[in-house]
Amino acid sequence: MSRAGVCLGALALFVLAGPARATDADDAALSLADLQPAEVAQASDWRSFIEAGAGASVRRGDGAVQGSRRLSVDIRYEHSLAPGTRVFVADRLDLGQPAPGRGEHAVNTLKEAYVSWQLAADAMFDLGRINVRNGVATGYNPTDYFREGAVRAPISINPASLRENRQGSVMLRAQHLWDGGSLTALYAPALARESNPEGLALDVGATNARHRGLLALSQRVGGLTPQLLVFHEEARSTRFGFNLTGLLNDATVAYLEWSGGRSATQLADALQAFMPACDCTTWRNRVSSGLTYTTPDKLSLTAEYQHNGGGLEASAWNALRQGPAALYGQYRSALRVTQEMPTRRAVFLQALWQDALVPRLDLGVMHNLDLADRSHRLWAEARYHVDSVEYALQWVRHGGEAGSVYGAVPESRGWQLLARYYF
Amino acid sequence: MTSFRLMIRLLALALILVALPGRAAPSPQEILVASDAVRNPDFPFGLTNTLVEYRQGRQTESSTLAIYSKADPAGGQFRSLVRYTAPARDANKLILFNGKDMWFYDPSSKASIRLSPQQRLLGQASNGDVVTVNFARDYQAVAAVEEDTQDGDRQTRRCHRLSLSAANPDATYHRIEMWVDVANARPLKARFYSESGKLLKTAYYRRYQPIFGVQRPTEMVIIDGLESDWVTVMRYSDWTRREVPEAWLQRDYLPRFKPE
Repeated sequence: MSRAGVCLGALALFVLAGPARATDADDAALSLADLQPAEVAQASDWRSFIEAGAGASVRRGDGAVQGSRRLSVDIRYEHSLAPGTRVFVADRLDLGQPAPGRGEHAVNTLKEAYVSWQLAADAMFDLGRINVRNGVATGYNPTDYFREGAVRAPISINPASLRENRQGSVMLRAQHLWDGGSLTALYAPALARESNPEGLALDVGATNARHRGLLALSQRVGGLTPQLLVFHEEARSTRFGFNLTGLLNDATVAYLEWSGGRSATQLADALQAFMPACDCTTWRNRVSSGLTYTTPDKLSLTAEYQHNGGGLEASAWNALRQGPAALYGQYRSALRVTQEMPTRRAVFLQALWQDALVPRLDLGVMHNLDLADRSHRLWAEARYHVDSVEYALQWVRHGGEAGSVYGAVPESRGWQLLARYYF
Repeated sequence: MTSFRLMIRLLALALILVALPGRAAPSPQEILVASDAVRNPDFPFGLTNTLVEYRQGRQTESSTLAIYSKADPAGGQFRSLVRYTAPARDANKLILFNGKDMWFYDPSSKASIRLSPQQRLLGQASNGDVVTVNFARDYQAVAAVEEDTQDGDRQTRRCHRLSLSAANPDATYHRIEMWVDVANARPLKARFYSESGKLLKTAYYRRYQPIFGVQRPTEMVIIDGLESDWVTVMRYSDWTRREVPEAWLQRDYLPRFKPE
């Protein structure tokens, strides 16, 4: 090519490049956006889904395989009755084989049913059954004071599921807000002393067996929003709580959750029908603290240390495991109601990967390790969603010696396939 | 003497008038401030943001968010309360954006979870894309070059190409190139870069419509810097002037936030 030809070519390139042109990729993206219909989804008062599940588990010891199936309907309704007045209802029905809760194959959980009044921009009242949940930790929440007796049908060991699928307590709650802070006060009366295991019962006694009150104060201080809690329960000593989160950097959140108060050991509380009252009431601390680190490609890693000052030290725990089966069984049974850790210390690890490998696929792995007996639980889930449907495959494995925290679970491993449809 | 003094005064005034430019050219930062004012009303407001995400030309995700925003009287940056309207599986979940104080609330689990700025909840769109942002608050425009560029409607426009660098730790990006229309300070296009100089994304601001008496962009098209067929379209609708009390812009109000 002649020099003149080269110059002309270069000139042509220069002219073409003249104004900062959009690239072909930009043009393609803009054309795609041109075709997008002008639809705007409208808010709905309802959020409901139906979920079907089937799975199998391997029984510890003889290796027998037991199948399971479940059908659940979950509804949430929120409606404004008038400006500043809203009604909330959340209900869940679980039908299962084997029975999801205390021998009942059909268990209904009225999770919430309450009315809310916003008297002013900074003052609100709520009345009814409310699921109050405090705590910033991921796996173990010492300040979640209203979880006792709340789970009617434990369909998953996932902490998020245990928090979601539970019933609230009947209460009157008031909240006052100001710039950067709030004060919440609530009172939950004793309405029934005994829990009602019937599947369709409202089961007020499960969560309103004792008079309880809570004060929660939050105030933003710099980049932190600490929360202080004072919780009092009939016939028990007052407990104090503290929640704090902070950013270590743009990718890492640190959290600390603490609760303390005078109490006997969990063992003494659980076995009070079998044994004389112990002289073991003292100040006990419960702590859950950890870090969550998120990578740029949406993988969140959490490591949490859990301390339960009311739980058993390794030596006492071993002694209980090797002692009378009735006492051991009573202790474990009581902790299923209170949702407390049996021993003093544990570690919780979690990895959640959003849009993992392909869009719309979420992967999750959780690992619980008890530091007293070294038993452990590994839980994994793959969840994929398309429009209004979600599919999930869950797998769990419990490992440890007989009678250990996770080794005592009747199933050594199991899996479950779930399909959920939102309507 | 009097006429001499008058002459001196007139001469001095003439010199001053000659020395003064007819109108000072706006600085790069002033252009950035003006373009922020085009995108964002200077009072608290609410809107609906419809996000649709495409990969390889096919729609993969869609979300609808109801957002209330209010500028911080101290720093000028916007704080936002966000509530999911759709899809159904996310409906009524809430997010508070208050600088780096970010919280997510799920009404099902009742869990308030603190988020780190790196946690993205909406696919490719960063948190800063979803909520209202005043770039002039977090970035310093260090240069402005006049050039022609193609806008989101494929029209050639005379623009200031601003070069923005992060001015405080709240800034999401290390560097931004932004094209602002010379004629009316409308932002037309921006390119966002990482600290290593990698192009993270390109955004087009388009579909200008009169909102609160000013022509404002009602659509943002975001193109991934690495995978150019990964596209997010954000459309803004239902703009409303809303009072947002300061007391609402905190974690403890999130469970109660419901846009009207």
